Amino acid sequence: MDNVALLVQIFFGAALINNFVLHYFVGICPFLGVSRRIDMAFGMGCAVTFVISIAALLSWTFTYYILRPEAPLPSWLWRLAGGDPEVQIDLSVLSYIMYIFVIASSVQFVEMYVRRFFPPLYKSFGVFLPLITTNCAILFACLEIMKHLQDPMHLWGLAEALTLAIGGGVGFTLAIVLMAGIREELELCDIPKPLQGAGITLIVAGIMAMAFMGFTGVDQGIQNFLNAMIE
Amino acid sequence: MTVFFTLTLSAVLLLLLTVAMALVLGWANQAFHVAVDPLVEAIDRVLPGANCGGCGYVGCNEYAVAVAEGKAALNLCAPGGVSCIEALAELTGQEATPALPYRAVVHCAATRDQRLPQQKPLYLGEPTCAAANLVAGFQGCTYGCLGLGDCVRACEYDAIHSIDGVAVVDYDNCIGCKACAAVCPRNIISMVPFKADRMLVVACSNPDNAAATRAVCPIGCISCSMCAKKSDLMQMENSLPIIDYNAYQDENDFALALEKCPRESLIFVGKPSPSDLEKVADEELPERVEADFQTTVDKTEWWG
Repeated sequence: MDNVALLVQIFFGAALINNFVLHYFVGICPFLGVSRRIDMAFGMGCAVTFVISIAALLSWTFTYYILRPEAPLPSWLWRLAGGDPEVQIDLSVLSYIMYIFVIASSVQFVEMYVRRFFPPLYKSFGVFLPLITTNCAILFACLEIMKHLQDPMHLWGLAEALTLAIGGGVGFTLAIVLMAGIREELELCDIPKPLQGAGITLIVAGIMAMAFMGFTGVDQGIQNFLNAMIE
Repeated sequence: MTVFFTLTLSAVLLLLLTVAMALVLGWANQAFHVAVDPLVEAIDRVLPGANCGGCGYVGCNEYAVAVAEGKAALNLCAPGGVSCIEALAELTGQEATPALPYRAVVHCAATRDQRLPQQKPLYLGEPTCAAANLVAGFQGCTYGCLGLGDCVRACEYDAIHSIDGVAVVDYDNCIGCKACAAVCPRNIISMVPFKADRMLVVACSNPDNAAATRAVCPIGCISCSMCAKKSDLMQMENSLPIIDYNAYQDENDFALALEKCPRESLIFVGKPSPSDLEKVADEELPERVEADFQTTVDKTEWWG
């Protein structure tokens, strides 16, 4: 039950409170670029959620077994090479290049796979896939997962990592669809020329970010609620 | 020792990963290969690539797929013109059916002053047709052009402009993509097949009776039916004359109808006739003023 409470907290934390776009300001390029129409925005959100989950799965696996301090694979090789068991081998310098590498190639693979076997799916969001191969929101999710794999006492499992990714994806979809709705209404508005286009969009994004600050503390409330339920 | 080991391990790991990914992606590229019909590619090359959407498909590529599958007619591409249709016919082996160039026609010719009376209080809302169309009392005529330029903004080819408060098509630039017709909230822009350089069109959309039309417009159609009586190619529908463009041959067919029209609801659009050009031959062209973009970048339409 404790575990479930943690998962719920991670999910809402990533989706609402620490929304990737509106709290950390990562993934801004698709957020501004593809938020002109609601259906396009929803397609983009789904594609990001999909890719972010795959990236989380892969990056958790790589980080857990290879990149984190005291990871099994390098330690085993170190001992095999006859090194001192007291000394730690830390490969976390490789994390960035590894993540970018793994995300980009897995997205390429998924794109080819979807194109071959699910043509309707490819038609609906396949065109967005190449756009998000090196999206910073996805890299951010991977780094966030890495952060929680540093302390050997509190290691995240795969479930936590995937929950963070899906929560982040849902939060991104929510933010971009809201943005697209607002921008569709903005089409009818008389915006002063200097603010048209990107200007007013960034202002709206800032106001939305402030609105999302209202979710601060919701995670504590959810935790209290779940604790009360357990008791 | 530790540093050396870490470096070696990193290099070996990345190298292994690279080789593995290259193999996987290379294999996937082969295994998941989707054959694209060479015909589609060939058709795509022939199409103009403007992605204007005038054919009713999302872009040129979608239209190319539809043509290759035989689902779409060959003559839907307005920007491509006759040469494009011929090339498509050659590629697909179907018979060429050249389409006439369809061009946008605004069915209103009354300037803003003519469409008065503007009622009080004056409209001070958003300067877009879409917004002005929602409220009553923007202008006298509730059918005519609003003149706020939604079509001008929709046009990607600089082919329609709001002149004296009425949309006027520049037929040198119009490619017939229907973008203006789609955006007009009053639906007064239609596509007309241009069989000649200049075409006769009905320049009024007001279906009200004579008294009501006279009250709001000095040039609008008062549905007197004179033109329909004088020409076989015209008939009255909904108190407005309709020109049968399928039977349209020559503008001379309409000489009598034009003569009898008591208003100015039948006008020619397109290239000017030789006699018109003669009339203005001695007039000097006004000097063309080029915009100085260093000082005049602001085209703000700020009504506030």
